[in-house]
Amino acid sequence: MNVADVKVCVLRIEGTNCELEMAECFRRLGAQAEILHLKQLTGECSPDKKRQLSEYQILMLPGGFSSGDYVRAGAIFAARMKNALMRDLVDFVEKGYAIGGICNGFQILVELGLLPGIDKTYSEVPEVALGINDSARFECRPTYVKCESSGKCVFTRNIRKGRNLLIPSAHAEGKLILPDGKADEMLQRMIEQDQIVFRYVDYMGNYSGYPWNPNGSIYNIAGICNSTGNVFGMMPHPERVFYRIQHPDWTQNDIGENVGDGRAIFESVLSYITKKF
Amino acid sequence: MKSKKHENLDNCFEVELPETPEGLKEVSDTLKLGLSTDEMLRVKEYFKNLGRNPTDVELNAIGQAWSEHCCYKSSKVVLKKYIFPLEHKDMLLRGDAGVMSFDEEYAYAIRIESHNHPSAVEPYGGAATGIGGILRDVLAMGAQPIALIDPLFFGPPDMPHEKLPEGVKHPKYLFAGVVAGIRDYGNRVGIPTIAGSVHFDPSYTSNCLVNVGCVGIGKKKFIRKNAVSSPGDNFVLVGGLTGRDGIHGVNFASAVLTEKSDVEGRPSVQLGNPIMKEPLIHSVMECVEANLVEGVKDLGGGGLSCVCGEMAIAGGCGAEIHLDKVPLKEEDLAPWEIWVSESQERMMLAVRDENLPRVKEIFELYDVPCTVIGKAIPEKKVRLYFKGVKVFELDIDFYTGGPEYTRPFVVKKREKTKERKLPPPPKPEELEKIFLTILSDLNVCSKEWVIRLYDYEVRGRTIIKPLTGRPSHQTHADAVVLKPLEDSYRGLAIAVGSAPWISALDPYMGGVISVDEVARNLASVGAIPHAITNCMNFGNPEVPEVLGDFYEVLRGVGDACRAFKIAVPSGNVSFYNESPSGRILPTPVVLGTGIVKDVRISASTDLASSDGYIYLIGETQENLGGSAYARIYGIEDAPPVCNPTNAFKYVSAVVSGIERGIIRSCHDIGDGGLAAAIAEMSIGGNVGVDINLDGVNMQEDVFLFSESPTRWLAEVDEENHEEFERAFAGLNILRIGKVGGKNIDFFKAGKKVLGVEIQTAKKVWNETLWKIMG
Repeated sequence: MNVADVKVCVLRIEGTNCELEMAECFRRLGAQAEILHLKQLTGECSPDKKRQLSEYQILMLPGGFSSGDYVRAGAIFAARMKNALMRDLVDFVEKGYAIGGICNGFQILVELGLLPGIDKTYSEVPEVALGINDSARFECRPTYVKCESSGKCVFTRNIRKGRNLLIPSAHAEGKLILPDGKADEMLQRMIEQDQIVFRYVDYMGNYSGYPWNPNGSIYNIAGICNSTGNVFGMMPHPERVFYRIQHPDWTQNDIGENVGDGRAIFESVLSYITKKF
Repeated sequence: MKSKKHENLDNCFEVELPETPEGLKEVSDTLKLGLSTDEMLRVKEYFKNLGRNPTDVELNAIGQAWSEHCCYKSSKVVLKKYIFPLEHKDMLLRGDAGVMSFDEEYAYAIRIESHNHPSAVEPYGGAATGIGGILRDVLAMGAQPIALIDPLFFGPPDMPHEKLPEGVKHPKYLFAGVVAGIRDYGNRVGIPTIAGSVHFDPSYTSNCLVNVGCVGIGKKKFIRKNAVSSPGDNFVLVGGLTGRDGIHGVNFASAVLTEKSDVEGRPSVQLGNPIMKEPLIHSVMECVEANLVEGVKDLGGGGLSCVCGEMAIAGGCGAEIHLDKVPLKEEDLAPWEIWVSESQERMMLAVRDENLPRVKEIFELYDVPCTVIGKAIPEKKVRLYFKGVKVFELDIDFYTGGPEYTRPFVVKKREKTKERKLPPPPKPEELEKIFLTILSDLNVCSKEWVIRLYDYEVRGRTIIKPLTGRPSHQTHADAVVLKPLEDSYRGLAIAVGSAPWISALDPYMGGVISVDEVARNLASVGAIPHAITNCMNFGNPEVPEVLGDFYEVLRGVGDACRAFKIAVPSGNVSFYNESPSGRILPTPVVLGTGIVKDVRISASTDLASSDGYIYLIGETQENLGGSAYARIYGIEDAPPVCNPTNAFKYVSAVVSGIERGIIRSCHDIGDGGLAAAIAEMSIGGNVGVDINLDGVNMQEDVFLFSESPTRWLAEVDEENHEEFERAFAGLNILRIGKVGGKNIDFFKAGKKVLGVEIQTAKKVWNETLWKIMG
């Protein structure tokens, strides 16, 4: 299909707050992006506003503090989706469409059990968690991530393995935690299946501790995908570095064509959809 | 006090107003109206003419509307003299926020206000609701909030506990609480906190200052007055429920703090809920952009009473309101409580009948309560009903009018001729110690500890960020630059300025230099200063010297804005910032905006080259008064002076130099003087500098640490230096050094007089707040 026909659903509830810049990234690349309230997918709205998930090829869960994150980051948004939409979601994933979650969206995908999605579409209960940062602080800072994907993840296929990207973080709960006793086995399986997409590195490109790993995430993991590669979540915000002038140090260099490090993520998923469907 | 139950209601009273002044004062005190005896006499006279007694609802409404916070009764006469006459071609509207033209199609709204007293009692909630309130002020103009700004003032956070006055909370606790409140509210609501300042001085120990600013953007055609359009408009209350939180908040804000404020003031502090505010912003903006509302107003200090009255009078109407329709948090609120409650997250919309169904549908989708509570009427009266019974009927002019005072003031004589006590010239090893001490001073050091707690990038519009430079070596920006529109490179720069220490020595100069500071911050990112909004924080205006300071500061602000061609479309005055243990320094806080023609030309403070020249722009005065150096080392001296007409020439030249691309990086010289400024640039670029002091004809320490206004450091590539010098012909510039190496070195006559490694400077500059705050 043509990129102009690709429809992206950017989903929100109260407290979601990165939806506009997310939708703009797709629109800048020529796709159609619509910001929907969850109630428009579950039918709790006037008939002219109702939508079906099957009308879209990409579902994006943007960052923010859905429902205030008062219970656990992403837990309420996920619970509301699970009740009304789980079958639609599973169907969406199994048809090969793409789901991406950034920051709070990543937390929601984990709560939904769609990530890490090791050898299955989803799990009834969350298998991993995104816990409170080791620093116990909200961390708004530029971070570097290294692309680890050999091509499985549909959101990073245009990014060369080993390339370092500057993508900023802003979260209080971003530390990926694997269950005790099963951590090594799960990590190994995720590595084997090319599910580790991004790992935090320092400005030299070395795996490094705080503040380069802003949350203490295991194995410096910043982003993962499911075993089929079409569900992807990451803590840092690529939609905040679509342009070069959104980088924190752009004034030190020539901005060239004004391409930011986050842009390739949106380009990748759009080219995946246009090629496959 | 004599009162009797309303004939048809159990929770409403008729109050008998006694004849004697003492009796009237007692009524005011018993009902916590905060009205003076003279004001009560005026109330008495009004009801005498009506031939009836007031209800408790009416008295509470008057007490609230006539508070300093709501009607600016002590400050209005001064504002009329110095600020209101300032005109500007781009100023579109004065309202809950001021509105300025941004480009042909768009306007921006700007406002700052104080949330000082609530934050002194309950720092987390006080600061959070301050953010909530300022967001609504901007939203009320029909503008989407895009930035939050927080200038904060505390006592020393490392102050020993035993020195703390009774009933006062420790500055470290207040600082941490306020920052957490801003973090949790601002981050959740999804509006970036992009700028601010943190100042520390013992005078703020018992009365911290929490000023909150907001900037928003909207299409000119959707900008709304805070008014109804005509009789028949529905008053539609949207957002949070109404409860007992925030009763008498404005009266609390209009009195001096005491050691009992902690207990007695607590009910005045509102409760914030950012997760109600976030969809409230969406739904209000959706209604505004679908052209469904006639006017919008924020429910802040003064609650329904102020909002209904002011929206009606601004539209040339009156209002009829049914209090029992107001959705409540708890069922048993009395009519007067409903009418004056300052519960958060509420807005009022004026909506025509035909638009009501669509408005309701929008709010329903976002799960935000939306209730019609009354209508605009042609008579200039406000009438209230509770369960069908009339509980209130006042002439709208009378109760929203409020008194206006020309209070006595004196401009305190300051001993300007006092003999200067400059320190003896320090030896080189002493100079290094002074340099590092100043870099690590609380008012100079890195504010990273605070800044990284705020999401300054949400919405993806922050082009020059509050911390700038390579991720491994970041430094303070002078101003933040936003790119508010998707399809335009036009930028809006935002910066804060405040000169409390200079204001204490010379309030007029304090006013001028606060504006100068904002203007030079804006200039150094390439922005022409455009507008300011200000928050004037002072002590008790009934003290003539305090009011005298206020007059002088405003005179300075007015003169500076005229010279800089800056508009003042909004502002806020906060009096009574004192307690028995002391009064704050006169503290003007100026939040300024500037226009960047194209954000891609902006400059930042981090050094960009490895071999450029460093120029000092502007004139260095020998005066040290008000500087960090003087405060730390107890140096008594007069403050520097600023000639705003002259300063404007410099500002224009700096902006032009950045626009033409001949200035690579730029930093204004402020707290800590030239030495601190060069260190910050060096830290941000992770590259050293060699500074040559040969052309300097004053003592080195004075030159390095003077905080003379209207100065910048500019980095200029060698190939551009002739063009740069031509561009600044007729202005004072001095090529003082060159970028390179790993040290910040200062030379005189070929000899090094001061040298520090970047890493050392970075360490002391960075670690102060981290060490104290953990």
